[in-house]
Amino acid sequence: MRRYDILDTPPDGAYDRVAALAARLFEVPVATVTIVDEDRIWFKATHGLEGVTEIGRDPGLCASAVLTDDTTVIPDTLLDPVACSNPLVAGPMGVRFYAAAPIITADGYRLGTVNILDTRPREINEADSATLADLAAVVRDQLELRLSALHVVRAEQEKRQAEEEARQRAERDKAAIAAFASTLQRTLVPPVLPAVPGLELACHYKTASPQEVGGDFYDVFPVGAGRWAFFLGDVCGKGAEAASVTSLTRYTLRAAALVDAEPTAALKALNAALLLDAAVGTRFCTAIFGLLDPVRDGGFTVTLATGGHPPAYHLSPTDDGGMRVEAVRAKGGMLVGAFAEAAFASRTLHLAPGQGLLLYTDGLTEARTAEGDMLADTGLTDFLAQRQVPVRAGCLIDDTVALLDTLPDTERDDVALLALSVPTPDAAPAGITTTAHSAAAPTAGASVGQENRRP
Amino acid sequence: MTDALHIDVPHTDGTRAVIALSGEFDIASAPAVRARALDLIANGHPDLVADLAGVTFCDSSGLGALVGIWRCAKDADGSLTLAAIPDRLGRLLSVTGMDTFLPVHPSADAALAARRDDRTTT
Repeated sequence: MRRYDILDTPPDGAYDRVAALAARLFEVPVATVTIVDEDRIWFKATHGLEGVTEIGRDPGLCASAVLTDDTTVIPDTLLDPVACSNPLVAGPMGVRFYAAAPIITADGYRLGTVNILDTRPREINEADSATLADLAAVVRDQLELRLSALHVVRAEQEKRQAEEEARQRAERDKAAIAAFASTLQRTLVPPVLPAVPGLELACHYKTASPQEVGGDFYDVFPVGAGRWAFFLGDVCGKGAEAASVTSLTRYTLRAAALVDAEPTAALKALNAALLLDAAVGTRFCTAIFGLLDPVRDGGFTVTLATGGHPPAYHLSPTDDGGMRVEAVRAKGGMLVGAFAEAAFASRTLHLAPGQGLLLYTDGLTEARTAEGDMLADTGLTDFLAQRQVPVRAGCLIDDTVALLDTLPDTERDDVALLALSVPTPDAAPAGITTTAHSAAAPTAGASVGQENRRP
Repeated sequence: MTDALHIDVPHTDGTRAVIALSGEFDIASAPAVRARALDLIANGHPDLVADLAGVTFCDSSGLGALVGIWRCAKDADGSLTLAAIPDRLGRLLSVTGMDTFLPVHPSADAALAARRDDRTTT
């Protein structure tokens, strides 16, 4: 009976109608539908009996009726040895006739009874007994229907709950993976750019997916005697494998630069380190390595060596207010870590006040425009030629990120950008501005510390 | 916009085989190219000519696959020759310096004809 969850439920039209129908069919003043609990008889529906919700089981008419499979009929209660002492019979109601059909479930449990009561004795025939049994069966069917509906609702609720829990678990897993990737990423690129006297630096970093560690990398660090080194590159591949190469690359270049800051020497050391590695053959990268040597009258002498990487762009304002954009290419300069015989060459340029240098990975030049063409070197050159003068690293990165945001398909690849500019004497009197942009998601202008924010 | 890569082997002859690629040679398709090429090498064709005429896009993963194939071919005493390189891929090979290591020919036929002479570079 418990599984039907019927006890103490509010009145329900279906059962009330059964009671009313029984009263009308048998022309009796009182008809009830009762459910027999362990210690009480609960009235699910009553007709002609006001204000009664439950009575005790013992001694009870229903209590005995529920114990038999057949319809119980007591034509005259005063002649029945058990019924005669029942309060309904002996009390003010003075019940003289009682008939009850048990409500029997499909699996044989007797839940309660459908009862008819009268204040005068009477007989009912076999057909009437069968009718009463049918009414009990109607109640049974109603209960079964209600039960199966309850099952469906509960199953639905449980399913929804399980789905919600699975969804929450997936969200947590996803967040944990993204957090892991972003933590790992911080070991591969510097969390903040250093403050380099006389130089403005800015960067942008976006991985194709927040769940994956990118293969792009950059770094800026001091190498002593007032000189600074920087590098930017792209490891072939993605994910954990690429991350291990990136890590090896970053620390090898840093260590090599402390021994010999000459850019081609650093790339040679990296080439040798990658070729010595156990997983040789699958681990290589492209990189640009630069050395900054401050010049007494302002600006820096920049020595740039390229290892199979797209050229950096040197931006210098012209006398007529325009912008000269020069691709800095060194003759030679192969993929790093692929060939034992790889040769690297360097070029030197003077980065004067008002000028800038942009380093980028191919996620920028291979980004597609709305027309489906790649931005390519020509598109980038045209874009850079329109930048404002004097060049400011922060603006250059902001503008380039804004450009990327206008392109439809930039989630295909990682993008790393590093810009250097030398402030003009009139600008930035405080000297150093360090603008770092770090975003693991395609979010323009996200500042350091904001991670994995996706639109 | 994406253009799935097709890999064909239109020609095998003794130790030689031509592997022709068309479509986008990128992180999605590079492993298949590598696997197919290594299969050819393992099956007695270590002298590979990669016909790249149909390559519409190649990224660092594509280059990585070429380096990997070159390495395996070399280990099998073979060679990797590039043929019919589209302009943009040509610039990429030049930027990465790979064209100084891998012989380049205008067509697969020219590569097959010149193969013996080029083997000194592998």
